[in-house]
Amino acid sequence: MITSRTRSELNEVASSAERSAVKIAAITGDVNDPVHRRRLLEETMKMGGVSLLVNNASELGETPRPELVNASLERFRQTLETNLVSPVALIQEALPQLEQTRGLVVNISSDASQVGYERWGIYGSSKAALDLVSKTLAAELKPRGISIVSVDPGDMRTQMHRDAFPGEDISDRPLAEVTLPFWAWLINQDPRSITGVRYRAQGTLWEVPITA
Amino acid sequence: MRRDELLFERPTELFASSPPELRGLARDDVRLMLSTPDGGNSHHRFRELPDLLSPGELLVVNESMTLPASLPAVSKRLGNIRLNLSTRFSEYLWVAEPRWSPGQPGPLDLEEGENLTVDGSTAKLLMRYPGIPRLWLVKFELPADMLMMKIGEPIHYGYAPAYPIKTYQTLFSRFPGSVEMPSAARPITDRVRDTLLGRGIGITGIVLHTGVSSLEIEDETVEHQVLYPEWFRVSAATANAVNTAHAHGKRVIAVGTTVVRALETAWSGSSVRPCTGDTSLYVHPGVGVHVVDGLLTGLHDPVTSHLAMLSAIAGIDRVKEAYNEAVEQRYLWHEFGDSHLILN
Repeated sequence: MITSRTRSELNEVASSAERSAVKIAAITGDVNDPVHRRRLLEETMKMGGVSLLVNNASELGETPRPELVNASLERFRQTLETNLVSPVALIQEALPQLEQTRGLVVNISSDASQVGYERWGIYGSSKAALDLVSKTLAAELKPRGISIVSVDPGDMRTQMHRDAFPGEDISDRPLAEVTLPFWAWLINQDPRSITGVRYRAQGTLWEVPITA
Repeated sequence: MRRDELLFERPTELFASSPPELRGLARDDVRLMLSTPDGGNSHHRFRELPDLLSPGELLVVNESMTLPASLPAVSKRLGNIRLNLSTRFSEYLWVAEPRWSPGQPGPLDLEEGENLTVDGSTAKLLMRYPGIPRLWLVKFELPADMLMMKIGEPIHYGYAPAYPIKTYQTLFSRFPGSVEMPSAARPITDRVRDTLLGRGIGITGIVLHTGVSSLEIEDETVEHQVLYPEWFRVSAATANAVNTAHAHGKRVIAVGTTVVRALETAWSGSSVRPCTGDTSLYVHPGVGVHVVDGLLTGLHDPVTSHLAMLSAIAGIDRVKEAYNEAVEQRYLWHEFGDSHLILN
């Protein structure tokens, strides 16, 4: 099941998956909309339940990216809603299905969550908070058999990256395909052995914590 | 570092095509070149290794065991090919290298989504590995372990035939998972080990399951080479042994480039920590080394990431000087060849 606000892009991904003989449902909508979220989960229920929830939907916020002291608070709240609150809402609502499947939740992060780059305070703080949410949920949901990881995919040639650097040539950034080996690796790990970890998909180490 | 800095001439008659056992020698009869920090090189037999090291020093070996990871495969369009497994993501999902034959790599005109047949079952080519087009992510219908057991043979290349699998194991091979022999420890025999231990030289182990050999770096800038991940484990006991040796001012010597990769991955910034997972760390002069003070290894091909690693340890000038001398002295290359001990 995939969802996005932009129908054309969603259909493109869905047909590419179908060409690889993957059974896929695509529903257009906004993850901030509770009615849309409910519909998504009703559909996944029919498909056998969610075993992997990837919270990728997020927004950059105001562009050009303002300094925090000049930022619109209204837009700040909206960004937090999309990047932080809605992923938690989806996890809350998908909980019965995740419990059934002993599933894995992946929250997409960013190196902006760790550094403190100028003019990245809105997006960066939303992702920093999401990282902490991931760690907290990992601790809270461990007894219920649900695992959570946080993944920083690294710089990629995406629309959001273009929006973040308007007018700049970003063709030196790799395409999103560069992260596929990481995803192949991740979904083949035992979720319980990696819960609570923050990964860098383009990093040199994909670590599995050693439990004492 | 520029590509041509790692270039050197080495005649192909210096490829060892058979193990020393088949040349009438013991494993520890191969030659050993010692390169010392002052830039000097001296020439020995491998069994003299214990005399070249000092009490308190620590050798770290790779305890990975070699699998018969080369599978015959059939492509509908290309006919009979070979599929050399490289990195295991699961029983069914591997990074693998399709080749025409042991002696002939690609390029092969294969397509994304294409199904190969391996022993009557399907192996689907999912996608080319990003940045390393000769490797593919491959999804098997049957567990690859089973296919290897049934029809696999050891990976070998044009310069040597396939030998029985035990030819590719060392004294320390314990955990199955490598597709090519971690060969640096191959000349360590029982008597060499016993003499080392008797002299107070420590031996400890890591595990790193090797993938297929890297080819020549093509990019003009050596550091741009993309390396694929390999599974490894540095245990708490090994991390302690390494940190203790350092605390006493003693050298830690990696036996093989795989050990360098594992130990440097486990470097925390101040010491080695217990660590496991998949590492794609590229050790080159720009990154440097923090853990290893020496490397016992074989002789490596020109313009490879292994040579970049040697340069990270000893500096490009010392490496080039040693390699010139190895060619002059007619050392033998590759996994059945001679050895090289580089100390810092």
